[in-house]
Amino acid sequence: MIIRKKYLFYLLAITSSVIAAAVTGIDSFVGSLPVFKTDPWAFAFSLFFVGVIITLLITLILSIKIKGESLGAKILDPSFKQIRIVQKNEMKYHLIAGLVNAINTVGYCAIISTVQDPSVILSFSQIVILYLLLMESITEKDVPTLVEVQSSVIVTFGAILASISLTGEFQLFPIIIVFLVVNPTWAIFSIYQRKLKIMKIHNRPNDSINIRFWNVFFSCLFTALLLLIYDIFTSGNHLITGFVTSLDPYYFLLLVLTMGTTFFSYVLYIRSLGLGKASVNNAIRASTIIFAIPFSILLIQLGVITEFSTDPVMLIIKVIGLVLIVMGIISFALTVVKSYIFITVKPGTPIKETMLKLWDIRGVSHVSVTSGKYDFIVKVSTRTLLKGYERIIRKIEEIETIKKYHWESVLKDWEKI
Amino acid sequence: MISAYILITMLPGKTDKAIKEMRQLDNVAKISIIAGEYDIVIRAQVKNLEELLNVTDQIQMIEGVTKTTTQIIEKEISLQ
Repeated sequence: MIIRKKYLFYLLAITSSVIAAAVTGIDSFVGSLPVFKTDPWAFAFSLFFVGVIITLLITLILSIKIKGESLGAKILDPSFKQIRIVQKNEMKYHLIAGLVNAINTVGYCAIISTVQDPSVILSFSQIVILYLLLMESITEKDVPTLVEVQSSVIVTFGAILASISLTGEFQLFPIIIVFLVVNPTWAIFSIYQRKLKIMKIHNRPNDSINIRFWNVFFSCLFTALLLLIYDIFTSGNHLITGFVTSLDPYYFLLLVLTMGTTFFSYVLYIRSLGLGKASVNNAIRASTIIFAIPFSILLIQLGVITEFSTDPVMLIIKVIGLVLIVMGIISFALTVVKSYIFITVKPGTPIKETMLKLWDIRGVSHVSVTSGKYDFIVKVSTRTLLKGYERIIRKIEEIETIKKYHWESVLKDWEKI
Repeated sequence: MISAYILITMLPGKTDKAIKEMRQLDNVAKISIIAGEYDIVIRAQVKNLEELLNVTDQIQMIEGVTKTTTQIIEKEISLQ
């Protein structure tokens, strides 16, 4: 099936958000259990330990071939063939993503154990967009535009407002953990997961299912290592507690439920990371806060969290926050201009050199060397046509080997799922 | 795997119907409506040149298509 790329991107990111909201609800319940409430370190290890087992099992099931195509390719990611060993060129990215995910999860478990309402926890995390914008301007080939900064600020303030109202409380400890641990590590994690997703493995796009499996595997290793060091220095037994608790059938099934659901949320998130920038993805993921409300209500009914305030002022603040989040996401969606540039070069000029010069231009997303009427077809993405002219056309005109070019703006596009 | 761009010129007023038919074709990875010398750009992914020929044949059979220009990709760098 072929659908519009923009819709695919938003469909993946929003579906991932809905599942993430459900996961946070389940995590809140599991985190409120006495053994984990007092020991977030053990909780983090248990999540990854059981996570490796369930993720491996799901990945093996998704590797089953049906009519020559794997089940995973049919239902989750067309790039997926089967479970495979990590390649040498992706190892570095997996190690970094695994390490930061381990640290992030320990921080997340510490918050979950303190604040049980998922809509509050999720709202704090949305500030990660600002970290991502800063990091992308350093690491990616694109700098944030005014629209991106404005939209991110709108989403962030929306998220902060949405986070205050449900319980009427504002706790300092979780915010410190979010700012110093959860958000920086999540920003690095998103960037490295995106790097992995846009890599080519055996001349095929890297698949999100293997990326997720290996991420859980390395995260588990790093969490175990961190806990071991922590236990040695503090004479604690968090690692053993986490391991023993994971083997208890009741806890094991709860952890299978949370990590099994997380698998699908992450696979869709990684896929959407391959289609758009990490900051834009996280802006869309801010909608998780909206989806978390039904889960918060469910948790109130189950008696896991206390009832939230129905003070009209608080409710108005909450609604304003949600409206800001939606506005921010829409403004992201409506401000991308994509174009093709068809280029002919002067005879006898080195193709590779010109290719690299084109690739170095900011905003260029594809450079294809082609045989036929044109020597290069370049695909670009900019926020405005003015920026396209100033940043791209001027740079192309500076390349001496280019004989002729013409720019054709994309009005609408579709991509195969 | 061979990737190629197929640049298409259309008769006025036929684009929407043609796009619907193009979306049904196998081996078509991306379709873009563009403004300029060409009207539509298709990115095809095929196993061999024989399949590429089939794709271009099928495109040329669609009502409203007046010209196709095929550009086979020899090398590519991309973010996605």
